[in-house]
Amino acid sequence: MSGNDSATPDAARDATSDATLDATDREGRNPLLSVRDLRVRFRTEEGVVRAVDGVSFDVYPGETVCLVGESGSGKTVTGEAITRLVKSPPGEIEGEVVFDGQNLSDLSEKQLRKIRGGRIGHIFQNPQNALNPVYTVGWQVAEAVRLHTDASRKEARERAIDLLDQVGIPEAAARYGDYPHEFSGGQKQRVVVAQALAANPDLLIADEPTTALDVTIQAQILRLLADLREEFGMAVLLVTHDLSVVAEVADRVVVVYAGKVMESGDVYNIFEDPAHPYTRALLDCLPGRGGETRGIPGRLPDPTNPPDGCRFHPRCPHALPECREGAQPPLYEVADDHEVSCVYYDGSHDPTAITGEASSRPSFPDGGGGGGVSDRANVRPDDSREDEDDE
Amino acid sequence: MYWYVARRLAWAFVATFIILTITFLLLEVTPDAQAAQLQFQAAQGGGSAEAAREAYETRRGLDAPLWERYSNYMINVFTLEWGWSDTRSQPVVEAILDAYPYSLMYGIPAVLISTVVGIAIGLYSATHQYTLADYAGTFVAFFGISIPNFWFGIILLLVFAVELGWVPVLFDPNVPVFSVANAKQLVLPVFVLTTAAIASEMRYARAEALEYVNAEFVKTAKAKGADGRRILTRHILRPALVPLSTILVGDLLGLILTTSYLVEVVFGIPGLGRLSLDAILNQDTALVLGTTFIPVLIAVIGNLLQDLAYTILDPRIDYGDR
Amino acid sequence: MATESGDPERFEDVDWDELGGLAVPRRTLAFVASLVAYALLLGYDYLLVAEDQPTIPVAGWNVTAVDWLFLLTLLAIVFYGVVPLVVNRRLTVHYWHQFRKNRAAVVSLVYLLVIFVVGTVGTAFIEPPQLDTLAAYQPPVYSSVPADVPVSCAGEVVDGRCQGTWAHPFGTTGQGKDILKMVVFGMEVSMQVGLIATFITIVLATAVGTTAAYLGGYVDEVLMRYVDIQLTFPTFFLYLLLVYLFGGSLFLLILIFGLTGWGAIARLVRSEALQRSEEEFVRAAKGAGASTPYVIWRHLVPNVSNTVITAATLLIPSLILAEAALSFLGLGDPTVPSWGRVIADGRGDLSSAWWISTIPGFFLFFTILAFNFLGDALRDALDPRQEGGE
Repeated sequence: MSGNDSATPDAARDATSDATLDATDREGRNPLLSVRDLRVRFRTEEGVVRAVDGVSFDVYPGETVCLVGESGSGKTVTGEAITRLVKSPPGEIEGEVVFDGQNLSDLSEKQLRKIRGGRIGHIFQNPQNALNPVYTVGWQVAEAVRLHTDASRKEARERAIDLLDQVGIPEAAARYGDYPHEFSGGQKQRVVVAQALAANPDLLIADEPTTALDVTIQAQILRLLADLREEFGMAVLLVTHDLSVVAEVADRVVVVYAGKVMESGDVYNIFEDPAHPYTRALLDCLPGRGGETRGIPGRLPDPTNPPDGCRFHPRCPHALPECREGAQPPLYEVADDHEVSCVYYDGSHDPTAITGEASSRPSFPDGGGGGGVSDRANVRPDDSREDEDDE
Repeated sequence: MYWYVARRLAWAFVATFIILTITFLLLEVTPDAQAAQLQFQAAQGGGSAEAAREAYETRRGLDAPLWERYSNYMINVFTLEWGWSDTRSQPVVEAILDAYPYSLMYGIPAVLISTVVGIAIGLYSATHQYTLADYAGTFVAFFGISIPNFWFGIILLLVFAVELGWVPVLFDPNVPVFSVANAKQLVLPVFVLTTAAIASEMRYARAEALEYVNAEFVKTAKAKGADGRRILTRHILRPALVPLSTILVGDLLGLILTTSYLVEVVFGIPGLGRLSLDAILNQDTALVLGTTFIPVLIAVIGNLLQDLAYTILDPRIDYGDR
Repeated sequence: MATESGDPERFEDVDWDELGGLAVPRRTLAFVASLVAYALLLGYDYLLVAEDQPTIPVAGWNVTAVDWLFLLTLLAIVFYGVVPLVVNRRLTVHYWHQFRKNRAAVVSLVYLLVIFVVGTVGTAFIEPPQLDTLAAYQPPVYSSVPADVPVSCAGEVVDGRCQGTWAHPFGTTGQGKDILKMVVFGMEVSMQVGLIATFITIVLATAVGTTAAYLGGYVDEVLMRYVDIQLTFPTFFLYLLLVYLFGGSLFLLILIFGLTGWGAIARLVRSEALQRSEEEFVRAAKGAGASTPYVIWRHLVPNVSNTVITAATLLIPSLILAEAALSFLGLGDPTVPSWGRVIADGRGDLSSAWWISTIPGFFLFFTILAFNFLGDALRDALDPRQEGGE
């Protein structure tokens, strides 16, 4: 699934897409959403910002895929570019987005509107601003219902109350006529979820749905999403920077950095055997991974002028001379449903330089800070502290 | 909410009261030009200046104690007993009633046109930010707020009345209200007033709409599948109307009240502005007071309406708080 | 320098205490010294010099009340506008780079500087326009009118048309006053009105806004209720009433606009200061026992300065316009050569002498336009939040 212009893309691409097919063929399904070589550029005064620069991944029916990366890595834009929510101009979207056999890039704005909110629901980061302050929450949920069904006003109202009830708003009927400012942050996010579910979507794109919320509320919302996913059988594309959330809900993980996919694969593979130095650095930032929480040294590259070679090389403790030139390395398969964009995996290098001899990583962060610190020395280059850009 | 409205009404009343009191005090502390003139005349005619002043004061009720004069003044204001205009030889209220239709003739079209066009251009500019049309709109706005109305009116008269002869140079108050001739002579005044109002309205509308064009909830609406028009009217215009209502009633009113003086002078329209100005130039105290009460009253009412509009349009207002 | 990071500094980031080490006490001292000198001179003018005698006999300059206010305004501009910009050069360069992007604003700034210098300095060197009926209705240079329009043509008469001359580049009025001179003296009036009234507005709006925000409670309530009333009462009509009662004068007009026009900006300042007074550094200063005036002056005022400067710059054009409009209506100061009055004078001669009303109008228009452009650019440079969107 490499969407980059590497020197030997074909071989790598074949290998990787075969791998993907293998993974699905076991269940004999086609991907619900297939993103290929997605690029989003913004023309700004400072130059052209390549927010997303050739991202490819698949989402299968019913599964939860997490798009992980730091703020500014392009993950949010990726989520919004799927249904072309990115404002254009200044944004320009290229690449192929196939949803349930339909190429969304070919659809007219009118056809797209049917997909938005109809078959693909969206949840955004900040519930404080996601609801229009001058309308009642009921009206807003009912609006979502009426936009995609020909329900009458009354039917839409009933459906909206049902939805509010389903997302756990107590006394939904009584609260139908309340305004957003009369709801707490967590309740607002529930309302937003209700809106997104109005037309029984097949895919829910949730962009940092819990970041702006209290920790306890976060857990509730995540549980709600998991329950609803089970109930409605929808797929979820979760955009997040929070690996503990990923560990909790993801089936598969796509790690993005500076608009490129660094690593993708099954959640167990990513957490147990993280292959890319960036992924390893991200995991090391997790609390419970042995000591203090730290950021990754260095900054995200200038989006108007990204470095040659691997985007991560300026911050990578293992960077080789060849990492500094050419394009982003292709995605090499390291295991079943696990691929990584790093030259160490091209067959001519020794990946243990990154992973260390013992390939077993500490278990999931919620599993406590078990041992396995043997390899960390490799990942943590120095102690210069750099606050993570996130929130 | 009703409690809030009631309190707001009471406040408008108090504000009016305070303003009227200030006016009364101002009149009290300043020498009366008319009395001085009568005294001067009496002295010249060999009479007693003092007697003339007393006679004048008795006639005007000025010899009463301060408190009585104050209460009389207040009662007169609220019962529309606004006195007698010496220069026009008619009651002040009557003079005002004669004049105001002329002000409305150009005022109403100007308000309607500028509101609709101003908001429309502002919204368009905001949703098409950084396009050529947006820049053009911004330029027009700068032009409109910067050009002195009275001078603009003069230039337009010079070009369209004097040089081209398309419209009459002098306003004829005797043509029927709904006639081509009247429409013709009102085109320029309406245009001048509209330019200024559109400029300030579109600037506000653009700024307010921009607040919402990039708002998260507009993205939510788009993600719900709402179409462009629905997003514009329901999700951008509606919340933007809350602050815009302030501008519409407050600023627009102020602008038009002030500009009406200039427009009426430039185009020779015998409306309220001209009436007021002539009263000032002719030292007709009763008429000056009467004609300045009107805009002040309108301003108070406008402020009231604006706050009420806010409460109706914005559900977030906490009524207990104010 | 206040911060050591490479980030561009903003006005409110600057710790005014640390500016150039000793520069601030020195500046304050200098300002106080000039205020003392100012007060002494003012006292001398009002107590010792007779009403109709020139204050400075050598220059023959009788300093009027408006002149005194204008001097005070200029002092404040120098000490709190020019000096900080000169001392803190890095910040100045940063703002200049921001500002330079807006070409219209740069042109406006140059134009306004010319108007300001010519209007304040130039008026000291040229004679005020004189009444000269013989020179009435001279057309501007490079234009001509039928020879029967002027009383006697100062230039050549070609084909029965009087040609304009360089003696009166912009022509003359019906009273034979030179329009170029009227325009120059009009510059002074416009600058005085715009700058003095704005200065008064800034002082009052900042004082009331920050005090209301910082003290809160009843003080806040009383001050803001007062602002409500003041905003209800239209300044224009207050002036009409006062002109009626006391007669029009430039001094009165400036005072009224200055004393009654600060309500809206005070509201802005208050809301800005409310946010600031919750911040750490203010609470820290308060906790450390700093006095109320000290906290307001040291911590709140610098932090609302961007809001105030931007709002004030956008206030100037409306003041200039208001003065011109009132003069046009004949309600201004009859002793002052305002642009509005020249425009009004030429109105009766529109068909024969077009230049009397139009030429001063262009200067008025461009001055207002320039201030608006400048204010807009300042807002972009100083206060990006005010521009909606991202």
